[in-house]
Amino acid sequence: MKVQIKNWHAVAQWRWDSVSDDTNKGDDDEGDVCGICRVPYEGCCPACKVPGDDCPLIWGECSHVFHMHCLLKWIGTAASKQQCPMDRRSWVTAERKIAPAQEPAASADHSRD
Amino acid sequence: MATDALRAQVAAKWQESFTRLNQNEPGIVGLLNFSQAWNIARECIRPRGLDEPDPLTEYDKSTFQASFELLNKCRRLPILLETFLDDMRKRLPVIKEEVDQYTLEYERTSDTSFILNLVFRLLQWYNKWMPRSELGATLQSAFVLSFQTHIFSILTPTFVRGFKELCASTLPPSDPSTSAPEPNIKMWEAFETLGLLDRYENIIASVGYEHIEAHVVSNFAGQWSTSVLGELRKWMTNQVVPWMLLMYGRNATTTDDARAMLQNVGSRFDFHMAKTLCDLRTKEIFDIIIDFPESTGALQDLKECLHRVDQRANLVHTLRKANHKRLLHPGADTRLILTQYVATIKCLRVIDPPGVLLFKVADPIRRYLRERPDTIRCIISNLTGDDDSGDPLVDDSEPIQPLHQTELEEYNDPNWEPEPVDAGPDFRANKPSDIVSTLVSIYDSKDLFVKELQVLLAQRLLSVTDDDSEKVEKERRSIEILKIRFGEAALQACEVMLKDMSDSKRIDGHVQSQNETVLHPTIISKHFWPMLEATEIVMPGQFRTLQEEYAKRYSTFKPDKQLRWLPHLGTVHLELQLEDRTIETNVPPLEAAFIELFSQQNVWTMDKLIDQVGSSVDKAAALKALLTWVDLGVLKEEGNNTFSLLEVADAAGTTPREPRAVANSAMELPSAPSVQQQQAEQMKVYWKFIEGMLTNLGSLPVDRIQNMLKLAPGYDQTVEQLGIFMEAARLEGLVVVRDGIWKLTPK
Repeated sequence: MKVQIKNWHAVAQWRWDSVSDDTNKGDDDEGDVCGICRVPYEGCCPACKVPGDDCPLIWGECSHVFHMHCLLKWIGTAASKQQCPMDRRSWVTAERKIAPAQEPAASADHSRD
Repeated sequence: MATDALRAQVAAKWQESFTRLNQNEPGIVGLLNFSQAWNIARECIRPRGLDEPDPLTEYDKSTFQASFELLNKCRRLPILLETFLDDMRKRLPVIKEEVDQYTLEYERTSDTSFILNLVFRLLQWYNKWMPRSELGATLQSAFVLSFQTHIFSILTPTFVRGFKELCASTLPPSDPSTSAPEPNIKMWEAFETLGLLDRYENIIASVGYEHIEAHVVSNFAGQWSTSVLGELRKWMTNQVVPWMLLMYGRNATTTDDARAMLQNVGSRFDFHMAKTLCDLRTKEIFDIIIDFPESTGALQDLKECLHRVDQRANLVHTLRKANHKRLLHPGADTRLILTQYVATIKCLRVIDPPGVLLFKVADPIRRYLRERPDTIRCIISNLTGDDDSGDPLVDDSEPIQPLHQTELEEYNDPNWEPEPVDAGPDFRANKPSDIVSTLVSIYDSKDLFVKELQVLLAQRLLSVTDDDSEKVEKERRSIEILKIRFGEAALQACEVMLKDMSDSKRIDGHVQSQNETVLHPTIISKHFWPMLEATEIVMPGQFRTLQEEYAKRYSTFKPDKQLRWLPHLGTVHLELQLEDRTIETNVPPLEAAFIELFSQQNVWTMDKLIDQVGSSVDKAAALKALLTWVDLGVLKEEGNNTFSLLEVADAAGTTPREPRAVANSAMELPSAPSVQQQQAEQMKVYWKFIEGMLTNLGSLPVDRIQNMLKLAPGYDQTVEQLGIFMEAARLEGLVVVRDGIWKLTPK
């Protein structure tokens, strides 16, 4: 017998890449939350209404990740002294590895078997 | 022995009487005169037989008068009266015999003319015996009283029945085509003369009442479309009032006179009419409500009648009873109950704008609806116009308003009105609020609605296939409508869900443009969708490859994001190419996964299959999936949980049966757990806390557990809910309870 798929209407969730690349506990249902607003990364910051591309994350060199809006707001305040709110190191936005992104993503997929 | 004194006394008495009768005439002439006068007087007022001649023919008038004057002078008139009445009593058996005869005839034939004849006969006797008017009013009135008393004592219940029937026969027939019977004025006069009217007033009135009742019931039962009260009043004026005039307005000379006489009795009849109509409509109220809005006329009538007659409590009682009997039982569809509830709201608003009646009637319905698990779904699906059976609860014409919050009474309002008198203590006037607010207010908070709405929306969106963007548009529209009611913020999540749909389409379009694939996923933002049941299926073979490829492309397109599949959701359109046939079908993913496995190997046991797709699939689901294929004639059950592929159609039993089960399973909406299931899901999280508590502290009462759980983020259960949960945990053997103290089951 041969099974041919004509059309597959599937359902998937999106999640931010890389948040927990290291731990690879991707199957954990409770995703991490933004350290500033305590809303999950896949949610949106309090000022936004729509998650995803409209409320993106920002990655710091210090390995901390926040909603971009949350962090920018923090950085905007005088008290912040341009530091990461978690570790008080001065904030440096990490270079995102845009081009090779698919490699780790794909391998992450494989390693989940 | 008589003493002298006694003798003297008797002699004195005798002397006195003698002088009185003898009138100072010489000798006993006076006595003789008196004797003659007495005889004449007695003879002429003697009750005679009907065929006996009138006394006037025997004696002339002056003789009478002389005799009576003489008697009067001798003060013997009272004695005469007594004698007369006594004579009459003696003659009465004659009348009684006649009466009995007539009533017997009536009883035999049920012909009211016998009663009528009887009355006339009585009248004849009456007239015959009636003392002449010259003899003074005293005599006459004494006669009338005595005659009537005797007559009444003679008349039997049968007569009363016949009399009632006789009266009824004089009524104008309720059928307007036949003309009213000629009013028999003589009869009424006879009634009056004989005092029957006064004596049987109740009966006559009841005849009128019954006539009205019969007319109302026969002509207006089930006639709800127009208001009948006006027509009924006209009928009263034209038909009943003339009849009443015969009785109550006989002596009226002018119309004003008549009106004054009828005032009292007329308003009584009008009241009775209103009451009859009111009773009728009250009895019909449940069906009237069903018929609404075709029954507006009846409601108007009822409203007016209720103004006149105080039957509000009765109406409430009847309607509540009818609701209880006909509506609030397990056999009634929730949708039906809702429809009826809405109709009830509308109807009772017509009858009673302040809403007291409604409040009293609605309470049981609302309580009942609250207990039904699918009420919210029904309301929501109706609000969004998603009902197959049409008939939306809310008119489109009604302007869509934001939900009305129950507000405190505003005492500074110049138009403030006190609550109606019959309002109960917990009556809350929700004045102009619309139907939807009322429905939503069945529940304490609208959050429940919003949650359920999300679940429904999720179900529907996930069942949308890619080429069906119209459906999404439709959902978007209904969400827009609901936003006006529930507020923008409450429906934010729904908004995101819709956006996910359009985003998925866009992304899919992009991915397809680069590399066409049969996989078209809907990509959701999980925090904005209701919790979807998570059973992990590992899709085998080509499905897995497709998933991986798609995920890779997605990550290329959106470098910061990854896809996580929810493989148990969605549908797969498959074509199976077997040796002798091809089968094309739509199946859920689990079915697809199984058949893919069969393409690798012809015989599987169920346990093996489950192992292959990840062991989180439960057996029932797996069996169902396999049976789908058995039904389609693709697989065959070998017994012992083993299934084999039918490469060549089984000639005997598997001519592809009607793919009923498949149709069902494919059409089935992707399951999103209802609010209750989600609550249970949430409680599982808190179970960890409870477990920890009980481990550390040994044993705790439920109150302590509740208090400590309150510290946990997002905990919103009541102590009762916690109790239910603990009970459930006990049944699972996780905890034990003694005297209200909970403990972990000792390991």
